[in-house]
Amino acid sequence: MNLRILLVLIIGSTLIFQGCASKGTELNSSLSQQEVSTVNDPFEKVNRVVFSFNIIFDKIILRPIAVTYKALVPGFVRNRITYSLNNLSMPITAVNNLLQGELRKAGVSTSRFIINSTVGLLGFFDPASSIGLVTETEDFGQTLSVWGVSSGPYLVLPFLGPSNPRDFTGLLSTSLLDPMYQIGGGSAPDSLRTYRLGTGAVDFRSQNVEILDDLQNNSIDYYAAVRSFYSQGRESQAASNLEIDSSDQENDIFDDFEINESYVGPDIEITYD
Amino acid sequence: MTKIRLHIYLLLLFWSFNFTAHSSNFLEEENFVTSFADSAISILSNDTISDPERTSSFTELVMSSIDLNLISKFVLSKAWKNASDEQKENYLIAFKDYFVSSYANKLDQYTGEKVDVIGSQEAGKYVIVESNIVREGTDTLKINLKWRLLNKNNQIKIIDLNIEGISLVIAQREEFQSFLANNDYDLDKLIEKIVSVSD
Repeated sequence: MNLRILLVLIIGSTLIFQGCASKGTELNSSLSQQEVSTVNDPFEKVNRVVFSFNIIFDKIILRPIAVTYKALVPGFVRNRITYSLNNLSMPITAVNNLLQGELRKAGVSTSRFIINSTVGLLGFFDPASSIGLVTETEDFGQTLSVWGVSSGPYLVLPFLGPSNPRDFTGLLSTSLLDPMYQIGGGSAPDSLRTYRLGTGAVDFRSQNVEILDDLQNNSIDYYAAVRSFYSQGRESQAASNLEIDSSDQENDIFDDFEINESYVGPDIEITYD
Repeated sequence: MTKIRLHIYLLLLFWSFNFTAHSSNFLEEENFVTSFADSAISILSNDTISDPERTSSFTELVMSSIDLNLISKFVLSKAWKNASDEQKENYLIAFKDYFVSSYANKLDQYTGEKVDVIGSQEAGKYVIVESNIVREGTDTLKINLKWRLLNKNNQIKIIDLNIEGISLVIAQREEFQSFLANNDYDLDKLIEKIVSVSD
């Protein structure tokens, strides 16, 4: 019963978001008379407010934890944690591989999980990769993109950060689809969920301390930089799922620019001090 | 026993699919990336020079390997064409300083490890060289880098660096466009902002 309600909700919400998506495109097309914009962000004002809130949350809580974690925990152990998080995401990856019709990849994800959970000592090591079992993690947001659902407008979620209706729906559906939560029952799945969410956030943040500090300090518009990073990253994942070369989309953008455009202003010589 | 047999079966089944084809169509460009990465690493790991010296020779290497003029115009997009000559000059000077203070110093995070070139392909006017950096202390945690190169008058220059699907130049362009959209498309305000960030 619950399952059915959730499915209806998911399908319903994706339809609504499709609507939003086309609305966003219309907004953009009216903008394009002034300036070409490929960014779908009709809720920018609200997003910026939530974004500022997230920065404060990050500054006070997440970043200090990540910095401490990085300072206290040796690199070797941190790499083990990264591997174990990757291993825990393999069952849901396998489910999504199947939903995307990727039988071979589903086999790889499943064998990775079996081998790394056993030979790889609960996933803290990755012997599967060394024998050629390599795969990318997949989430339900990516599956929706394979099914043709467009991302919809850019959203910044409180605490969770950059997203969009498609990826947020994917996030909500993950517990429904993840075999790790469905099989077993009891308290074990809850502690796994906590481990994955909490440690996952710290793991991700600790890997990006310098990069995000840098980005924040050097940005002309930090909000727009993060939006671009997120959207580009998700789009390139979607392209690789559909086995499209993501550089093709980029080529169009780069080709837009005329290389031999004659420059009328004074030529600036590039010198280094 | 059955479990072991299952493992072996799975291994045999999937092993053969995982060999990636190495297509080196553009040797010259691939060598360019390899030698750029090697020089970068040798500068960054050189302990015999002082920190400022290391930074300045690294900056020099980066600046001589990229087409900054083209990147400058590209990230400004439409606003470039509408700019006055004076604005263009101010912008180019400001962007150069900004680039040195943000990007040139930022790149050392990605070239600290060995860069393995894994292939190259044509992409319109450009050539894209694909490479991997393996994360320190692991065999398998990799960062994928794609270098967009332009061969103009037999001189190869870097136009863009794409890290795990994220193009730095496109991100920069979207940032500038967003700033302009929120500031009445006033280029002078953008130039002012660029100068203030690089100080």
